[in-house]
This record gives sequence, C-alpha cells and structure tokens, in this order.
Amino acid sequence: MRWFFSFLCAALLGLSSALSSSGSRLLVVLEDVAEKGSYGGFFGDLEARGFHLAFETPKSPSLALLKFGELAYDHLLLLPTKAKGLGPALTATQLLEFMKKEGNILLALSGDHGTPTAVQSLLLELDIHLPSDRNSLVVDHFNYDGESAKDKHDVVLVPFPKVVRTDVKDYFGGEGVIAVPRAVGQTLGNESPLLAPILRAPSTAYSYNPKDESEIVEDPFAVGAQLNLVSAMQAHNSARLTILGSAEMLQDAWFEAKASLNGKAITTANRDFVAKVSGWTFKELGVLKIGKFVHYLDEGVSKKVNTSSAIPENNPSIYRIKNDVTFQVPISEYVSTHWTPYTPPSGDNIQLEFSMLSPFHRLNLSPLSQTANATLFGTTFKTPDQHGIFNFRVDYKRPFLTNIDEKRQVTVRHFAHDEWPRSWQISGAWVWIAGIWVTVGAWVGFIALWLYSAPTEKVGGKKTQ
Amino acid sequence: MPPKQRHAGSATTTSTTPSKPSTSSYVSTSAKSHSTSSTDASEIARSVWNKYLSKTPQRVKLLDSFMAFLVVVGALQFLYCCLVGNFPFNAFLSGFSATVGQFVLTASLRIQTNPDNKSEFESISAERAFADYVFGSLLLHFFCVNFIN
Repeated sequence: MRWFFSFLCAALLGLSSALSSSGSRLLVVLEDVAEKGSYGGFFGDLEARGFHLAFETPKSPSLALLKFGELAYDHLLLLPTKAKGLGPALTATQLLEFMKKEGNILLALSGDHGTPTAVQSLLLELDIHLPSDRNSLVVDHFNYDGESAKDKHDVVLVPFPKVVRTDVKDYFGGEGVIAVPRAVGQTLGNESPLLAPILRAPSTAYSYNPKDESEIVEDPFAVGAQLNLVSAMQAHNSARLTILGSAEMLQDAWFEAKASLNGKAITTANRDFVAKVSGWTFKELGVLKIGKFVHYLDEGVSKKVNTSSAIPENNPSIYRIKNDVTFQVPISEYVSTHWTPYTPPSGDNIQLEFSMLSPFHRLNLSPLSQTANATLFGTTFKTPDQHGIFNFRVDYKRPFLTNIDEKRQVTVRHFAHDEWPRSWQISGAWVWIAGIWVTVGAWVGFIALWLYSAPTEKVGGKKTQ
Repeated sequence: MPPKQRHAGSATTTSTTPSKPSTSSYVSTSAKSHSTSSTDASEIARSVWNKYLSKTPQRVKLLDSFMAFLVVVGALQFLYCCLVGNFPFNAFLSGFSATVGQFVLTASLRIQTNPDNKSEFESISAERAFADYVFGSLLLHFFCVNFIN
C-alpha cells in the first residue's frame, strides 16, 4: 500500500510541476513502441520540460483520445506509421473532436511511409494540402546536405525562419541551420486565417516523387516558398495543430548531426528548432491570458462634482453619454514555465472596442504598469454621443498567439433633465434670456399703464359713443 | 389707394368707415385742406397717420405701441440668431416665441377691447378680456422661462 501512496504523491507532484500552460499528459502514437529509442533525445527533452509521455501504437485496443467525453491526454504526438489507416481510435473526426476539446496535436509526416488516410482527410478539412502521390519528397539541388544526400538531394538544409511581418512575435527564430530530411511539403489554403507557415522551403526546392522514372519533373505539386516544411493551424478555441513535414527531424540522428552545405561543414540545430516547435504546439509559448476588466468613471476634469476620485467605483453597469471612462486590463503571456508580462511586438497594438453592433471607438491600449505576471494595459476615452447597450471588447487575434476575445456589457444612458447646463451658463443664450425678460418687463409696464389709463379712456370712449 | 387719390371727397368716406361718424367732420376738413396735393404719397401717409392719431382710442394706441415694441424685440432676437447662430436652440425658441406669443395675446386683447368691434363681442366685457389676457400672458411667461432652463 505504501508504494501506491508514494506513487500517487509522485504523480500529483508531477502534475503540479507541469510546465505547459494547458496540461502535461502527452500521448505519443508510433508504429512500434520499440521505435522510441531513435527519438530518445526528443522524448528526454519533453520529459525534462515536465511532460508525462504515454506511448501507444495505433493498433492498441486501449488507445482512446477522449475518456467519458473529456480529454484523456492534453497533447498528442503522431509519428508516422507504416499502415495506411490509423485504426478506429484515430479517425479524422476523432482528431477534430480532440481539438475541439482544446487538445493540441503535433503531426509528423514522413516521405518514407506515406500519409495515413485519416491524416490526409483531417488536413484536407483544414485546407492544408499534401502531394497527391504518397511518396513525394521535397528536394533542393542547391541547399542539400552533402554528407548524407549527395546524390538524392532530399535532405534540405534551411536556416531558421525569419518573421514574415515585423508586428508578429518571433517564436521560431534562432541561429544555425535546420536539416529537413525527406520531407513531405504542404501547401496552405488562402482562405483560412487560422493557418500560418512556420518553416518554408527554400526558393529552389520543389516537390518530387523519387519513384517517378522520368528525368524531368513536369507539373510539380508545388515549388519554392509555396512549399511549407512546417506549418501551423490554430483553431478558434486556440487548440494547435502543427504539421512537421519530416519526422526524421525529431530523431537523435539529426539533432546535432554533422552536415555540409555547399562544401561547408556545419552542425544542424534541429534540437533547438524542434524544442521551439513542440513548445509552441504544446502551449508552452505564445499563450495569452487576459485578466479582469476594470472600467470606471473618470470624473477628473470634465465633471464639476468630484467627490471621491481617489477610489472610483469600479465596473459600473451604467454610464452616461459623453462621460470620461477609464478602462484597464492586465494581460499575461506564458513563457515556458511561468506567466510573464505581455508586451506586444513593435508595430502591433492591443485594441479596445467600445461597440454597439459596430465599434464607436477602437482605441489602442497603452501599457500602464507591469506586475510580476502581467502588463496592465489601459486607455481613457469619452463615451460616444449615443445612448444604448455597449460592449467593452478586447479582440486580439494574432498569428502564433492564443486568441483573446472578451466582452463586458454596459448601458450608456442619455442626459438626465437636470444634467444639462443652465441657460445663463451658456453665454450665447444671454440675448434670448434678455429677450424674455424685456418682454416680461414691458408687459408688466403695459399692464400698469393700461390700468392707470383705464378710467379716463373709458369715460371718453363712452362720451364719444 | 388709387380711388382715394382720384376722389378726395369720397376718400374721406371710405377712410372713415371703420371710425365713428362723430369724428368724421374733423377728418374731412383736414383732408380737404390737402386735397390739392393728395397725389403725393407722403401726404397720404401723413393723413393716414393723422387720422390714426385723432381717431384711435388711447387704449388701442397703447396696445399698438406695445405690439410694435414686441415686433422690434422679436426682430432683434431673430436677427441675432441669423448672425450668431442658434446654438442654445431652446433659448432662441423660448426667447423668440415669448415675443410672438405675447404679440398674439396682445392682438387678441386689441380685437376684443376695440370699441369698433363692440357689436361682435357683446358677451365679453373689456374687464373679462383683460383678465383672460393677464392669465394667458402669465402662462406664456411661465412656459418660456421654464423652457429656456
């Protein structure tokens, strides 16, 4: 019994020291459990980062991604298998169901094995396209490894990816050269905003089937930077799917392999790159957390009544039009082990929308202060001259960052009748005020004259008649 | 007006129809004295003015002068609105409508108390008309002051 308790304690301790932001249970599906030796370095790195690895084969009867409708594992690593099908537990529907429950998938393909139909239909559903013939590889006659692929040119050497845009955070950058042996290239559909390339093939690469006997490749599947060696899909619920074109990248043999690029001896930096890709996929990187919205009436300058500006009442449910309102929200980013203050990349801004159907304000939030775990973003604005039901909304969706879309509803009322300025406070009205009182005064004078002049006039009038 | 110019004698009768016959003798003499130069427009205006001065009762003149004053005040306010703009629009409305309303009420009082209209307002005495006028005016002032805030 004692061993059981100590095991339980160890398990709980392991759970509590999990380093991914979304859980540490990682299922690895591979052809044969004995095969895991060749990925020893990668699995060792994952375990060192706090993941609890479980190994299964597709044929295993106990394999299930969901248990009682809940996730049985938080993350899934699918390594290539020889079989065409992946079995009843790993259909495309079940993989999608796994992602709907916010499970993350790292999918490794291989040009040697061919892609299982379940994976193919999953990718097709996500608008990611693989070459139609099962044995296509990415080859490059300029950036190949001279040591291992002198003749076939199917080990592509690429530098670390650079950020495509300056206002996107760089999660995959680094120093060195990555070896991508016998990769299956993917192309991404243009329509889906959920897809993003991580590593593109060099401009001289193309997709090629080595079984094809012909000398000249006619009409290749894709060429150049159209081919993605590693690509990512992040769903609306921030579940992540990363497609790794080459499973061999994860193997010990390529982690720090000696290679030569155009006659120059180099050491591949796969270990670093793979750690970044798996860290991103398993939610160790690029995870944002939004804290509690704080908004309050900022009566500092505009309003004459300023009784308790020291401690304003937070988050009132009602504002008036043309009120000065201050809005604040803390945002954190998870970096490998802990929550840190989030700083958006230069050129990018987190924005607040004050919206009723459409935004009446869309304002950049500026960082006000930092705590150990969060940056406090805030702004001050004047509510629009329109009453109704409004939302404070922070909608921040960026490549490689989990989605933020938070709203709080408030009512904006119009002026109460006693909130308008009095007439004499508006200098423009003075003439008309004078007009009224001149009329009233003249009327009083007229009444007095009328009454004063009454008897004589009446007598005179009667006399004349 | 042209018939007046052609027949000075008949002009006296037409102009005196609203006024009382008792005062017609004075008017006709004054008109006759200027009959030679009655083609001059200023002369006609002067004769009309003189007739007004001589034949209108004192109270009606008082009413007329008050109404003329209201017209001037109202016109000044409207002019100011045109020149400067109607920014506190409620202020313009209440200031301008105070003069307009007062003008209408005063005109009503003039109709009801004019001795010429006595036959039409047999049932309403001048005192009754005046009391109505005071009540209506106070109501108007209350609304205007309230509306200008």
